Amino acid sequence: MKWFEIVSRIDRRIIYSLLTIFVIIPFFLKIKIPQNIMPQTERLFKFIEGIPPNDKAVMLSIDYTPQTMPECHPMAIALLRHCFKKGIPVLGVSFDPQAPGLAVVAFNTVVDEFNRQAGSRSDSLIYGRDYVYLGWKSGRVAALIEMGEGITGVFPKDYFDNATDTLTLLKRIVNYKDIALVVVLAAGDYPQEWILYAQTRYGVKIGAGLTAVMAPKYYPFLQTGQFSGMMSGMKGAAEYENLLVRYGYATETGKAEMAMNSQTLVHLLIIFLIVIGNIGYLATRKESVKRLNG
Amino acid sequence: MFFLLIISGLSPQSVVANDRPNDAGGCVIITWDSVSDTSIDGYIVLRQTLPDTTFKRVGFTGRLKNEFEDNSAVDSERYVYRIATKKGEMYYYSPPSNVIHSSPQFFHTGRLNTLIAVIIFTFLLVYFVRRAKKGENLFIRKISGIDAVDEAIGRATEMGRPILYVPGLGDIDFPSTIASMNILGEVAKKVAMYDIPLIAVNCYPVVFTVAREIVHEAFLNQGKIEKYKDDYVRYLTESQFGYAGAINGIILRERPATCFFIGPFFAESLLMAETGNQIGAVQIAGTDQVLQLPFFVTACDYTLLGEEVYAASAYLSREPILLGSLKAQDFGKFLVLLILVFLTVLSFFNLNLLSFLKVE
Amino acid sequence: MKQRLPLFICLVVGLLMVIQFYIPHPVSVGFNSIINKWVVILSAFALVLGIGNLVSHHISKIKKAKADRWYSLVTLISMTLMALVGLVFGIGPDSLYQKIFLNILTPLGATMFALLAYYMASAAYRAFRVRNIEASILLASAFVVMLGFMPIGQFLHPYFPQVAEWIMRVPNMASQRGILFGVAFGSIATALKIILGIERSWLGSGK
Repeated sequence: MKWFEIVSRIDRRIIYSLLTIFVIIPFFLKIKIPQNIMPQTERLFKFIEGIPPNDKAVMLSIDYTPQTMPECHPMAIALLRHCFKKGIPVLGVSFDPQAPGLAVVAFNTVVDEFNRQAGSRSDSLIYGRDYVYLGWKSGRVAALIEMGEGITGVFPKDYFDNATDTLTLLKRIVNYKDIALVVVLAAGDYPQEWILYAQTRYGVKIGAGLTAVMAPKYYPFLQTGQFSGMMSGMKGAAEYENLLVRYGYATETGKAEMAMNSQTLVHLLIIFLIVIGNIGYLATRKESVKRLNG
Repeated sequence: MFFLLIISGLSPQSVVANDRPNDAGGCVIITWDSVSDTSIDGYIVLRQTLPDTTFKRVGFTGRLKNEFEDNSAVDSERYVYRIATKKGEMYYYSPPSNVIHSSPQFFHTGRLNTLIAVIIFTFLLVYFVRRAKKGENLFIRKISGIDAVDEAIGRATEMGRPILYVPGLGDIDFPSTIASMNILGEVAKKVAMYDIPLIAVNCYPVVFTVAREIVHEAFLNQGKIEKYKDDYVRYLTESQFGYAGAINGIILRERPATCFFIGPFFAESLLMAETGNQIGAVQIAGTDQVLQLPFFVTACDYTLLGEEVYAASAYLSREPILLGSLKAQDFGKFLVLLILVFLTVLSFFNLNLLSFLKVE
Repeated sequence: MKQRLPLFICLVVGLLMVIQFYIPHPVSVGFNSIINKWVVILSAFALVLGIGNLVSHHISKIKKAKADRWYSLVTLISMTLMALVGLVFGIGPDSLYQKIFLNILTPLGATMFALLAYYMASAAYRAFRVRNIEASILLASAFVVMLGFMPIGQFLHPYFPQVAEWIMRVPNMASQRGILFGVAFGSIATALKIILGIERSWLGSGK
């Protein structure tokens, strides 16, 4: 077999092995690649930045699953850090049955981090006063519509079995009118349903944190203004982490920034494979033309 | 004098209360002119329920807002509002607003444009269906992905291997899931006719029950009900990648000759399509999820792009009435494009009518 | 009758739902709310049928002693175990259910999703070939977008992120919107055809 045939027909197992090596390398080599911030991430950040403290709440629709956790979980952490630092109350909901476990981990991680540094009760984050996780609900379309009438009607009890109408936060956050922004963190088509049912009916502002695979679909929604900002994949999460550092809300970046290094190397590998594949393909074509003429 | 000017400057002016339009009642919108001082804390909204004489606080809004929606209004009551600017411990009150009462509406004027569009489209549909009923020959372009269905089923018959039908990761409220169910009905008829094993796998229970009924009825209508097996339509899981994993397992173990991936698909599309590609199955995919189309085009033999999924059932059944509906669809699209081009051209002359297309 | 009744229900409920979309009155909102609650309840009944099918399929596979019966056994045991753990010990934050979920299902799911990277790499290697002019344009845009969205892109040339962003925002969005128009009309037509009883394939008859 000639060289150009080899490079144009590389066995998929070789590609898989190379990919594995390129993913692992950055965990051992400490490199820092500075982030350029995409406008849609900055838009989301600035929207949250503009919400007055202790007024309307930010609702996080945490709908990512274990499969998409590496991309979306850092987004949830970064958003929670931003909101809590700014004193914005947060409501969590989930419409994917696999999400609640992950949502609780996200809330606990950030709340513990804040409460460890808190000097008094007023500095601490208190469940029911500063944040509430409502849990999972089936029949998401119906629930999205119903929440426009009243959140406690859809979620009479929160994830921890508390009656929601007894929680301080939900006494003043009644329906979408009291929600400054809903950020949908998902891999599926959840944001579109939020737009279809919550935004078109109740005018609620929507932002999103999506896996890189899903994000391009939602660019039209950014341009039309239906989205108030978006984080796209691991890069989006890393950008948000960088913005938190830049604006003084955090001292260091998180896990997304580290994972971006692996992603960059893998992209370079794919580009390399495509280039050599094409060189091989062109050489093969040239050879077959020669053979035909000769 | 200077002190008084500052105070009046901090009092919100032009306070206007209106019933929120297009709602179920119970809401009043109050607007006012923002004050120029950026160091204020925000605005307190006060409400007087007539004939009471006292104003009570109903809400607070940040300094960047000059609008408040009072959702606690009762339709039978009449209200007057005042806005107070809060700066530290000081409050600067506005003059009272007009008297207002909230009320529900019987028609959503913000959706008038969609109503007109739906009526026009329904007329188009009825018109073309009537023409088709009269036996008029309506030209429909060739859709190679659907033409390949017979070839794919034929291949499975020759090889004696099953056909895999995946209706995607959407619940029954996805239009493309319904379109996929329509195609499944046509595929099931052919499957019954040629007596090939079918594996239709579902991730949502409602879709599963609908799919089972469709396949059962298709066998019944072909007079082959004795060949129908409960096993043909299976429920797997609602988990996205659990579903993809199960389908990959089925592809590798049962080695179907043909795979159909028709319906809404998300990040799992390439996982399944590449596995099918590895075993050399003939693959026909179709989705309205634009983002997944490149993956299907890469890994499948034929791909139905967007609206072709909706046309497939009509194209496969060759029912004149259904073909007529495709014509209505095309005509409607053409009409919308004309309107868009016309309004865009007008906008070049500073006549912006595009806002009429906005749906509330 | 077997066909007419579902068609009649479909027509009546479909038209009522269309009408209620244009009426914001509390009566209409209440009707919408009731229908949505019904959907949730009916979904729960369908789930019972779905699980029944899953169990009977795998039990029959085990009974027939097929070569791959072990997979069926694993499915049934895992399903029963998770249900029992949830019912007996609860599904609270520190429960056994959550521990299994986070320590078994989470890594399994992440692994499945991670496979996408492998499949994408091999599919990109296979598909991106300069076979003709269109394929070459596609390849060139893919390169720019990939480099532009990578942090390294801005160091190669500061314009890479901007050009990548432009490709996503303009040509990509234009083509997406074209397809979306078709999809929107297709879904409206499908809905109308079903409500008006023109499309009946979903009843299995095709007539």
